[in-house]
Amino acid sequence: MAFNPPFPPLAAALLAERFGLQDCPPEGPFVPREQLVELARTLKEELHYSYFVHCTAIHHPGTDELPEHCVVVYALRKLGQGSHVLRFRVRVPQGETTPSLARVWVGADWEEREQFDLLGVRFQGHPDLRRIMLPEDWQGHPLRKEYAIDTPHFPWR
Amino acid sequence: MSSASNSHASAPAPERVATVDVGGMQVPVALTSAPWPDPFLDVETYEPDADAMAINMGPQHPSTHGVLRLKLWLDGEICFKSVPYLGYLHRGVEKLLEKRSYVQATPIVDKNDYVSPMTSELAINMAFEALMEVEAPPRAQVMRTILAEMQRVASHHLWLGTYCLDMGGALGGGAAVFLYNFRERELLLDLFEELTGARFHYNTHCVGGMRHDIPAGWATKARKVLAFIDQRMDEYEDMTRDNHIFRARTEGIALLDPALAMEAGVSGAVLRASGVDHDLRRDAPYAAYGLLDDLHIPTSAVGDCYARYTVRMAEMREAIRVSRLLLDGIPEGPICALKPVRNVNSVKPPPGEVYVGIETPRGELGTHVLSDGTARPVRCKLRSPSLHSCALLPYLCVGATVSDIVIILGSLDPILGEVDR
Repeated sequence: MAFNPPFPPLAAALLAERFGLQDCPPEGPFVPREQLVELARTLKEELHYSYFVHCTAIHHPGTDELPEHCVVVYALRKLGQGSHVLRFRVRVPQGETTPSLARVWVGADWEEREQFDLLGVRFQGHPDLRRIMLPEDWQGHPLRKEYAIDTPHFPWR
Repeated sequence: MSSASNSHASAPAPERVATVDVGGMQVPVALTSAPWPDPFLDVETYEPDADAMAINMGPQHPSTHGVLRLKLWLDGEICFKSVPYLGYLHRGVEKLLEKRSYVQATPIVDKNDYVSPMTSELAINMAFEALMEVEAPPRAQVMRTILAEMQRVASHHLWLGTYCLDMGGALGGGAAVFLYNFRERELLLDLFEELTGARFHYNTHCVGGMRHDIPAGWATKARKVLAFIDQRMDEYEDMTRDNHIFRARTEGIALLDPALAMEAGVSGAVLRASGVDHDLRRDAPYAAYGLLDDLHIPTSAVGDCYARYTVRMAEMREAIRVSRLLLDGIPEGPICALKPVRNVNSVKPPPGEVYVGIETPRGELGTHVLSDGTARPVRCKLRSPSLHSCALLPYLCVGATVSDIVIILGSLDPILGEVDR
């Protein structure tokens, strides 16, 4: 049993040829933001990754090498026999936006809204970027690292 | 109203058939609801024939199976736009998991999918095992599979009961099917209680295997219970499949296009009822599912509420068969690959990032974990199947009547604890 299955070789060859992404680890390659939508459409239309699994963002507070940023991870699945997951990532510097994939896969709509709500990642071109889990008037984004777990919120606590 | 014809069609009978590429295989499916309704329809520019009305359904509505709020824009009784509002059950589970160690995560995720906690805890522990590169011993693998399948039967029983309750007095006094289903579910919960000490939030899976071994005589009792439920399955079908009102309220309602289902990331019985033959238990086997070479995955090409019902009923029968089969051959040996943990902070997986998805009664429950080598995960994202099912509501509710929306929501079987997390 492979614990962390390798990146699908067919997709790796296509990404290297079309987008110049030579290094594809199992966690997925880092995709430049300007290529993201084109790459997503290629994966969907040419390699038939038609099933949207999920979208996750991870907040990284700044270090000496890298300034503060969020990493957005997308996961797609190939259905049927030998089903496997393909992941790719995009790095979003603090205060900048990343293109939305909600127009490519319907399932990305709510997942991106959730990441916007909980981590404050702004998706450019999203048709309906509102908070989804928290009330509209909530202050801050709870899954960011600087957000303390006991942050007071009137009138809830 | 262009899409009003979707509601109350007495026969499903799809006319257009297309082939859909599923992992390289061409699968014939019926095209039913394309073109899809626009979920971002601007209501201000809409000019209805009659007065348009916006009403709230939920969050306290009993048939929303939890606290889901639907804002419906109605033209007469036909809905032309619906917007779901989530978050009434948001508990910040993902933030909490970042503040707890790996062995403390299991009882937290138990409360996510409170109808099938066995599969919830299996999913997160399998992700942690993948991170630590630990494999559960064969006895634990088979136990996990049996418990997951028995949980599937219990979960689908609860679904069928509440689904028939949603249809109200039409089905033999309303609560009849519901109470019969709860009687059977109770037997399964008694078995789980004997095994784990808890009726509901079991906390029985742990990183590397299981916490509780099978007590003496448990397998015999389980076989008896499963044989009893198997015998009763025909009675449920008699009460529902042969009921004219049940058929009239489910057939042809909320036809789901397979291409939309795949794009939206819908999984489980809803996806298979739309004709997409995909099940992680067979296509990417985990636990002891690899040992089963004849796992039958029921599908239906129609994609309406009735198809979801038939798929779930067939799944229940298959789950009973599989668990009875596995109960006959539980291997001997240890139940956990790791030693019991004394200090919760001592469990430190190597740095890494994994995604593991398993097939729960509701579909693909995935866990995405990022570890930096410390005792707590950096990020632990739970990919819930119910969230993606709920995301279909803006598409499925268009053209349906208010009474049908209750049926549509029930047929998707969302668990709001898992949607909101």
